[in-house]
Amino acid sequence: MQEFDVLVVGGGAAGLRAAIAAKHAGATVALISKVHPLRTNSAIAQGGLNAPLGKNDSPESFAQDTFVAGDDLCDRDVVRIFTQKASQDIIWLERMGVPFNRDTEGRLDRRPFGSNRQSRTCYTDDRTGHMVLQVLHEQFQREQIPSFEEWFVSTLAVDNGTCVGAVALSLRSGKLDAFSARSTILASGGFTRVYLPSTASLGTTGDGQSLGYNAGARLMDMEMIQFHPTVLAKREGLLLTEALLSEGAVVVDHKGGSISDIKGMPRHKISLSIYSRQNGAGSVLLDLRPVGKEKLARFPQTQELARTVGGLDVTKEVLPISPAAHRPMGGIETNAAGETSIDGLFAVGECACNGLNGAGRLAGNTLTEAVVFGRKVGEAAAKHATAVAKKSFPATKVGDEEQKLARIMSGDSSQDTVRKIHGELGRLMNEKVGLIRNGAGLKEALTEIQNLEERFSRVRVKNPSRVYNYELTSYLELASMLTLAEVVALAAQSRTESRGAHQRADFPERDDTNWKSHTVATLAGGSVQLQKKPMASS
Amino acid sequence: MEVTFKVYRKDPEKDGKPGRSNYTVEVAESATVLDALLKIRDEVDSTLAFRASCAKGYCGECMVRVNGSARLCCTAKVPDYTKKGPEISLDPLRNIPVIKDLVFDFDAFLWNKIKAVKPWLESDGSSVNGENLLPDSQMQDMRKVMSCFNCGMCDEGCTVLPVDFNFLGPAALTKAYRLAFDPRNKNSREQVKIVEKPKGIWDCVHCYEADEHCPRGIEPTKRIVALRDKAYHAGITHETVARHHKSFAASVKESGWVDEGRLAVESEGLTNVKGLMKLLPTAAKALAKGKAPIPYMHAKRPDADRIKKIFEKAEQEEK
Amino acid sequence: MKYAFYPGCVSRGGCPELYPSAVKVAEKLGIELDELKSVGCTGAGVLPQNISDPINARTFAKAEQMGLPIMTICSTCQGVMAQANYRLKEDPKYRDKINREFLADEGLEYKGTTEVKHLLWVIFEDYGIERLQALIQRPLKGLKVSPFYGCFLRRPPEAITPTKELNRRKAYLDELIAILGADMADISGKGKCCGFPILSANEENSLAMVAKHTGESKQKGADFMVTPCPLCHLNLDGNQARAEAQTGQQIDLPILHLPQFLGLALGFNPDEMNLKRHIVSTDEVESKVSMMS
Repeated sequence: MQEFDVLVVGGGAAGLRAAIAAKHAGATVALISKVHPLRTNSAIAQGGLNAPLGKNDSPESFAQDTFVAGDDLCDRDVVRIFTQKASQDIIWLERMGVPFNRDTEGRLDRRPFGSNRQSRTCYTDDRTGHMVLQVLHEQFQREQIPSFEEWFVSTLAVDNGTCVGAVALSLRSGKLDAFSARSTILASGGFTRVYLPSTASLGTTGDGQSLGYNAGARLMDMEMIQFHPTVLAKREGLLLTEALLSEGAVVVDHKGGSISDIKGMPRHKISLSIYSRQNGAGSVLLDLRPVGKEKLARFPQTQELARTVGGLDVTKEVLPISPAAHRPMGGIETNAAGETSIDGLFAVGECACNGLNGAGRLAGNTLTEAVVFGRKVGEAAAKHATAVAKKSFPATKVGDEEQKLARIMSGDSSQDTVRKIHGELGRLMNEKVGLIRNGAGLKEALTEIQNLEERFSRVRVKNPSRVYNYELTSYLELASMLTLAEVVALAAQSRTESRGAHQRADFPERDDTNWKSHTVATLAGGSVQLQKKPMASS
Repeated sequence: MEVTFKVYRKDPEKDGKPGRSNYTVEVAESATVLDALLKIRDEVDSTLAFRASCAKGYCGECMVRVNGSARLCCTAKVPDYTKKGPEISLDPLRNIPVIKDLVFDFDAFLWNKIKAVKPWLESDGSSVNGENLLPDSQMQDMRKVMSCFNCGMCDEGCTVLPVDFNFLGPAALTKAYRLAFDPRNKNSREQVKIVEKPKGIWDCVHCYEADEHCPRGIEPTKRIVALRDKAYHAGITHETVARHHKSFAASVKESGWVDEGRLAVESEGLTNVKGLMKLLPTAAKALAKGKAPIPYMHAKRPDADRIKKIFEKAEQEEK
Repeated sequence: MKYAFYPGCVSRGGCPELYPSAVKVAEKLGIELDELKSVGCTGAGVLPQNISDPINARTFAKAEQMGLPIMTICSTCQGVMAQANYRLKEDPKYRDKINREFLADEGLEYKGTTEVKHLLWVIFEDYGIERLQALIQRPLKGLKVSPFYGCFLRRPPEAITPTKELNRRKAYLDELIAILGADMADISGKGKCCGFPILSANEENSLAMVAKHTGESKQKGADFMVTPCPLCHLNLDGNQARAEAQTGQQIDLPILHLPQFLGLALGFNPDEMNLKRHIVSTDEVESKVSMMS
């Protein structure tokens, strides 16, 4: 058994930042990640991270834009904390070595991005996520924090309402081990792979949300899924940064008519606009040629990936695009310090829902969120670890997990496969719980999800080894996704209004009278319990 | 289209001996090798182990050798590899210990080497004074070098690693460059010291294989050469290399071309009896064949004084 | 065909068999060589760029004055010069600076028009294979030869093979072996490093590389290895015995210079090509060759 003050699950930007902060606060820290930190989904972020650094900018203006993008479902206190701290945390990143682009005065340059009314998005060409992740990992190594890479957390250990750690499987050795911790931080990213196509990496399967949920934590605003408007339609899910739109890229429909009502709009509006003008996926085109050679030099990743993945030369050809599922606003319910409803369990980043993003993330807020709250939650977790007495790790937990794995890996499997079921789930979610929903479709979706769960229950893992058994990890990931898919569909069904990323064809208007609330889901008695949580009045 | 994938296998839980499995699957014309692997694992043989993460060409996780050439398999289009026939072979990268099937030991290969160069800025991160003020031109080179996504292609193509696995390798040394040349790093001299130790920059043969292999044009070899220049000018060098370089420069400065006899002797060191003794057998043979240039009996070339002037001017500029 | 001939340091230093054999072969082929006598060493990748670039710019300027392209007989000279030339051509500001600070007081100026080509490239690109084939007097049938290019003749790509067509340069030596009538004993390391640059820094690795390449060649049944680089030759031939001792192998693989290889096919006898000067004995090659027509 391994023992630490703070255990961080997930090696992306938020997890790394939290681990560093917890270590600085004096805790003993360990990180567990199912892939190496530099292979996580954080590298997908391209456009940049917001900070109110401009002369004419202010935390208040920044907050206002965040509220608008969130379609008024954001928690004002959380947004206030966020917008006030953003500048300091971004400057920390610069001082630690992120090679941000500079303006003529040598200061951090800020590009126009999304529906930010001021240019406040700091960037490194179009590789911002990659650079931030790299520098965070550099500093993480500096702290010499034990890093359990390619370990898959299979369950949390909760004893009498307190989280005391986790049990994880080492892919390299095949062994299960217990990780005892006074504070456990879930930073395992989003669950976008519930949708196909999606922009996320293969492992973005909501493991953390599912672990927390199954242990009794609450999930909030799960129906809020952000679709990104400019995703290459040629190859499933290749993200093209929205910053291209602010730099002059043009969107045209299949008839050649320009789609111009999208400039400076929140993402959900752009996605809806493109979707409505589509005549089949890939009929809407993104033209990067008007950006011009000089500005296009700041988008090397876009050019490279369009070529290697899509086989397209952006300086000569147009790119077929279609909105695709990008990242969730919802996740494990937490307060501003990352505390969940379970004592000793924290969540941060895309895994969590602390009220910052409401019904729609402001473009450029995600990485800032990862570092601002990564730091705060790391500090809070460290503080919590010093304040509590050590609880013993349940003696039978590892044995229970051994049995669970043994059950999954024994017996006859049906003809179904994990990938087949996942494929059907993804397409179902995209179609019926996607950009635009309606009551009938949601009902069908829920029935279908039940069917898929039933079929899944008859699948077994045929690979008998536990060493680098990706069939096993895919199986466990699918289990997470099915659980979360059901919650998403139920939450979407319950919210009878349209707000931000949640659009109901049968309830097309925003309903502030009844729906200035979050949806909260809890697992009780084996089924999903939904509640409305009214927004805090400010 | 129907394609047969011949995949390298190795099972550490059985005899650990390398083998091969052949899988014939139906794949779409637009399929990538990763698509095929995922299909094989799901439908044909779930014991097959391989890594993948972003599946879109930017994270570096899915490196394999496709028909012998290392590349990301998520951007390797199947039709590109079936032009000579419907068979594609898949192997792990060369010269790296293999754990299982296509999963190789990336810790030993790369991650540990990066750790070894102490890959972080010694900075306190305090935001009190705002950001470091820097011209974008300085950050441009950093962005280029840091666009490295640890794919390992440079290390895979390296000439030295096959004979000396403990050589730090182009990827780790490129990381060292990023630290040594970042204008914000107060610790850059220390970084250079780390990599000029044995197994570092002086072990590089500057064959430019790394530059040829890097898919992002980061030019790792050029970065290593730059580190060597920096070390040399800062007076931080490996003794034998310093002697070698001094001797080379001295004979070209004096005579316009290299006095190899002198070079061989001075590299070992004039007082290094043991080292000089080592040279004797080869020197004797060479002398017998009329191949040994007698050290110090070396004629000046015409215009040698012009070459000397260039040296003097350049040395002056350095100051 | 006339070239400003740049023989390099080693062809008259540690490998004095190279210079005369190159001159003889050029004469036989009808390639006129006007030697650049008052120029300096390229730096071989050892001298830092702030010193070697001006020295090489001066060499290019002198060739430009002669109105001739430069021909080299050493992969290292070729590579180092090609890289310097690439820098000077791509960046006119840099070239101006070098001209102003280093060449002007001699009355020289490099305008950026000089081409630098190795003999191997000259044969394929300027001279022509048909012309060569017409002059072959002794096809080297029955001989098995391993190619060893020398890194600097193949990389870095922008300086050595700047266009798609010139990617063919990567295979010239392979092709030449066939054209001269011999069979190729292909080795995995033919385009790799011989280890010479790290001889002083890490002798163990350097000799390991020698053993690897020559060992593989011998294993594949080669009669000899041919290389266009005398620095490679110094290591592969000169240090082969030490490499054998280090790795406990017996190799005994003769190493020939490119001009010697050409010369034998053109009808010169081994003595004329100074084969006796090598450290690893070339006696067996000589006897095989003398048994041919």
